[in-house]
Amino acid sequence: MAQKSDFLFDHKASHFFLPWICGLMVFIATLIVAGGVSVHNSLDLWQKGIAESLTIQIPTYNADGSPRNDAVYHDIETTLMITRTTPGVQGAVVLDDEQMQQLMAPWLGPDAVVSQLPLPKLIDVSVDSKNPPSLEQLKQDLTAQVPSAILDSHRIWLAELINFSNALLHLIGFILLLLFATTIITVVYTTKTALTIQEYVLSLVHMLGAKDWFIMHKYAWHHFKSALGGSLIGFILALPIILGITLFLRAVSGQIFQSSLSLSQWILLLFIPLATAFLAFLTTFHTVWKFLRKFL
Amino acid sequence: MIQKDNLSPFIAEFNGVSLRYHKGPEILKDITFSLSPGSFHFMTGESGAGKTSLLSLLYLHLEPTKGRVHLLGQAVDMMSRATKAQIRRQIGVVFQDYRLLNHLNAFDNVALPLRLAGEKEADIKKHVSELLAWVGLEKQLKSYPEELSGGEQQRIAIARAVIHKPTLLLADEPTGNVDDIMAKRLLHLFLELNKLGTTVVVATHNSGLVQSFHFPQLHLSEGRLKIIPPSGTYSEMASKLFKREEK
Repeated sequence: MAQKSDFLFDHKASHFFLPWICGLMVFIATLIVAGGVSVHNSLDLWQKGIAESLTIQIPTYNADGSPRNDAVYHDIETTLMITRTTPGVQGAVVLDDEQMQQLMAPWLGPDAVVSQLPLPKLIDVSVDSKNPPSLEQLKQDLTAQVPSAILDSHRIWLAELINFSNALLHLIGFILLLLFATTIITVVYTTKTALTIQEYVLSLVHMLGAKDWFIMHKYAWHHFKSALGGSLIGFILALPIILGITLFLRAVSGQIFQSSLSLSQWILLLFIPLATAFLAFLTTFHTVWKFLRKFL
Repeated sequence: MIQKDNLSPFIAEFNGVSLRYHKGPEILKDITFSLSPGSFHFMTGESGAGKTSLLSLLYLHLEPTKGRVHLLGQAVDMMSRATKAQIRRQIGVVFQDYRLLNHLNAFDNVALPLRLAGEKEADIKKHVSELLAWVGLEKQLKSYPEELSGGEQQRIAIARAVIHKPTLLLADEPTGNVDDIMAKRLLHLFLELNKLGTTVVVATHNSGLVQSFHFPQLHLSEGRLKIIPPSGTYSEMASKLFKREEK
């Protein structure tokens, strides 16, 4: 016999699409949000790098392949002197082999022997992020006194990358908005379809004296449970894909791309199915309320 | 604050009520009558005379285009939606097309008004089982409407209408699909409820049934109502009924 709580619902006829639709929406939304969060994380990492430091390269070999020997140390001394006296620079140090190894690990792997490679000496310049030095002035000073020194232009291409990532984040936000709008519309139409199929039942229980609040609550709660079930399945199905992409990006890009999410970000992702189910609850509540107005 | 003219001592009171669907012709024209508490009326008239429309006004499915309806003492046009729901719970309706829910079995269909009223499951089980046994469907408790004959569905519809002992019982052709013995048995059920104080209105084409029971008739003809007084006494009717049952 039907339970007291579900006698309003013909399970064979209606509410069939809602969990599927919600599941699909949550699956896509979870992937998009996870992607957006990764881009955001990477953006943070890059911006931090840009804001706080810059790098100067001193080549250890001439263009013809011959070693520069003592000239390297002379250039390093001069460069350190120039940078340390430039306003906005907090400090400058030459990276040792261990630091170089760490730096190159994302590209060359953790076991590369950097000392045997023809790598330039790198001077890490710490910058006052609130009052940064004039890069143009620094470049002019270096060109005048240490012609071999190369002020890394990564700030320029990284700034472009950051601009691109920012645009990507806005796009992701827009897609998410579209997705939520689609979810709302879908829930409204699924609810309306369910109500149309169930109009006979609704009309009868209304005539038997069921109060609007009772019917609205029953339907909204029923849709909440259906939507939550579908949404959680969509969320769970998205997890291995996020994990797979994270592992893939870690293998391909090393630490350049910050693809792994923090605990708070995982909790944020978990809000997607909950929010979708809550959205279904509110939408159903409102739709049923409007639907019942047509009865006396 | 409730105005004095919003109240009525009658179970139902119609004053100059007319009804039309959209911009169509008037189905009911200037209907005025009242149903006293505990009364029993037949509603008669040709097909299309407006019987079902008048019943729809009585169970708050429609609102009049003109005039005023009072139900259970209150003016319908002044009722809130919550009050209307409360009033509906005191009305039992046997629909001509039964209106059973196909996804519920016989037991759950009959239990519907009690569940909507928030009755305890133990009480529901007891009362529904007893009533279904009374209408001869004790073996069909778990059968779904599609598995039952027209007559059996009609008995379930009647059981659902009376299970909560309504103040007003409205029946639209309640004996249309059952044999004479069952028709009389069902009418007997309505009489029993009527004796307990339920006001009953039975819309029927069955002139034999109307002749057998000496109750006033609400006769509809071309949308106009004429009240025909009973042609005998209650005791004459009762003796006729019980003699027939003995046979």
